[in-house]
Amino acid sequence: MIEVKNLVRTFKSGDRTIKPVNDVSFELEQGTLASIVGKSGSGKSTLLSLLGALDKPTSGDVVVNGVSLASMPDGKLTNYRRRDIGFVFQQFNLIPNLSAVDNVMLPMEFAGVRKAARAERARQLLEQVQLDPDKHGRRINRLSGGEQQRVAIARALANEPKLILADEPTGNLDEQTGEHIIELLSTLSRDHNTTILVVTHDRALANKTDRRFRLQQGRLTEETARTRATAALTG
Amino acid sequence: MSVLARSVGNAFRNKVRTAAVVAVLAVAIGLALAMLVANQAVTGKVAELNASVGTVLTVNPAGGQGFEGGGEPLTSAQAATAAAVPNVSSVVGTKALRLRNAADMAAEAASGRTGQGGPGGQSATSVTTSLTAAVDAGTLGNRNQASTGASGSSTAGTTGSTAQAAPAFSLPITATGIGAEMDSTGKALQLTQGTGLGNYTAASTGALLGTTLATKNGLSVGSTFTIGDKTFTVQGLFDAGTAFGNNALYVTLPTAQTLAALPDELSTMIVTVNSMENVDAAKTALQTALGSDKADVTQGQRNLETAVSSLDSVKNISFIAFVAALGTAGLIILLIMVMLVRERRREIGVLKAIGAPNRTIGLQFVLEALVLVAMGSVVGAAVASLASGGIASALISSSSSTSAAATGQRGGAGGFPGGGFPGGAGGPLGGASQLLTSVTASASPGVIAAGIAAVFGVAIIGALVPALLTARIRPIEVLRGE
Ligand SMILES: Nc1ncnc2c1ncn2[C@@H]1O[C@H](COP(=O)(O)OP(=O)(O)OP(=O)(O)O)[C@@H](O)[C@H]1O
Ligand SMILES: [Mg+2]
Repeated sequence: MIEVKNLVRTFKSGDRTIKPVNDVSFELEQGTLASIVGKSGSGKSTLLSLLGALDKPTSGDVVVNGVSLASMPDGKLTNYRRRDIGFVFQQFNLIPNLSAVDNVMLPMEFAGVRKAARAERARQLLEQVQLDPDKHGRRINRLSGGEQQRVAIARALANEPKLILADEPTGNLDEQTGEHIIELLSTLSRDHNTTILVVTHDRALANKTDRRFRLQQGRLTEETARTRATAALTG
Repeated sequence: MSVLARSVGNAFRNKVRTAAVVAVLAVAIGLALAMLVANQAVTGKVAELNASVGTVLTVNPAGGQGFEGGGEPLTSAQAATAAAVPNVSSVVGTKALRLRNAADMAAEAASGRTGQGGPGGQSATSVTTSLTAAVDAGTLGNRNQASTGASGSSTAGTTGSTAQAAPAFSLPITATGIGAEMDSTGKALQLTQGTGLGNYTAASTGALLGTTLATKNGLSVGSTFTIGDKTFTVQGLFDAGTAFGNNALYVTLPTAQTLAALPDELSTMIVTVNSMENVDAAKTALQTALGSDKADVTQGQRNLETAVSSLDSVKNISFIAFVAALGTAGLIILLIMVMLVRERRREIGVLKAIGAPNRTIGLQFVLEALVLVAMGSVVGAAVASLASGGIASALISSSSSTSAAATGQRGGAGGFPGGGFPGGAGGPLGGASQLLTSVTASASPGVIAAGIAAVFGVAIIGALVPALLTARIRPIEVLRGE
């Protein structure tokens, strides 16, 4: 269960202030698969970073299972990022000089998982995202963009987080592989009760989610059947 | 993949840069280690010097020293008096003799010059020997000989022979009877071959020869030669470190007294005091007990002060250089790590974003610094072991030339004639220069280990600052592409 309450994030650029996240509120039940769509620059990544405790809101709060992020000290936020969150970054943000397996093992190392166990799980996860077994030991900077994206997804799943925040997880993938990733995410939310929030431009992906949000100039609205019809009419 | 493995991997990420950093570190660490080794060697020497010479007092007859001056000779009874003074732990008498080559004496007698015993001669006794001096008379020797010759034998023809060149003249050899295995200043003899004389308080036919004297006469351990009409066997060779000091020989005290036919006389007494703190009190007490009209008591250390202070300055210089080189190594690490942290800002942000605690990231950077330092230390230790000998001798030779100049002036002011001053000048001053050259910088494993431990300590401090800087990087950094 995640509750977002009147979240605001402003940036100062020169003497202008911009509000990519402007008074956003919503709730997600545990196990929900939700999506956010919106134009480029509408504030999707900014919102996700606030939910993932990578950034601090200008005002408002995020409450995860009854615990407020705003009141957490930095050390606790680190634990939250490690244990409770799996974050798939829009630019992957893998460690370039480590292998795919080593990258997936990192969050488990920080969580204190034994070495043999983490190597085993890392390989399983890489298989789940359909990365060629002979590329598991390859260094990140020798993998293609789509391969790196799948390593990034595998890393986000490493510590079996309760909440997965994925920023354009299928952006670099072909249709078929993208379908597979969507399948993987819905299985996780359905069978493992994982809450998943994906930012996407991919209509096929958005249509498969339980709840759909649209971010426009910092404001979040939920798409219902009616609003979708209106949107389709107005283009 | 563990923190350590990641650190090692990161240290080799940019191989060219790693090689450059290791090379620079190796120079700084090598210099630090070389300076530490030099410092240890000199410190050891100063302690040894203070321990051996610092507690030694020399007693000479009042108004006389060696073959100079006048007054009454010292006696065995005075040695007993000295031994009874509080805090005196030992009294060793010496008896100096001047030996002249028998053939030269005969030649000089034939040419009308008297084979007199040398200048002054209050406590010296001239005896013939089969040995030839290892030092040529040279200008100094001839001048000394001429001046004393004029006063000793004015009837030998100052009228016509002043313009006549003096015939080749050979220097006397100093034989010293010693009551223990030490030279006439109380410094232990440095035997290079053979053994000592065993019991120094009994008559024996053994002798210890200076290395150059033995070489000049083609003698080695086991060879024989004569003094007066007695045959002596070479039992050992010593190196006093100076040409003058090595043109000498030592026999046991009773032997020398017998040769001189003065069984009760001593030239000097070497008095050892039980501790450094008691030296001044013992010196006063000794002077009072012996009477200032009978004996002059001097502190051997006074002559060595210049040597000790120059060694002390080498010690200080090398220590400062050690600390400076160590600081430089720390600074290099600090700057390199600050650079690496800045360069990997985004990566540090990623690690934090996926939940790495600050201490894990900090540890990773400290370990990476230590990997660099470890490689720098290996290369640096190799550099140090090659360079430390050269550096130490460079430091010491530059300081010993200043000390030699200082002692030279002192000797000049005292007016000691070069050729006719046995033991006294050759002892303390020769000892000082010997001591300076004998400071050999050997890289002992313990010292190197201590030095490397210090290097690692400094490196940890140097790496800690940038490691702590990583704590301030916020994970949001990763969302902004570079
Ligand atoms: N640190 C920042 N400082 C100033 N402005 C920022 C900062 N981060 C984001 N912005 C601005 O906030 C707005 C929202 O950015 P955000 O990255 O959230 O967009 P987005 O919806 O994820 O876009 P895209 O679909 O292209 O990824 C943009 O106009 C961006 O320029
Ligand atoms: Mg974005």
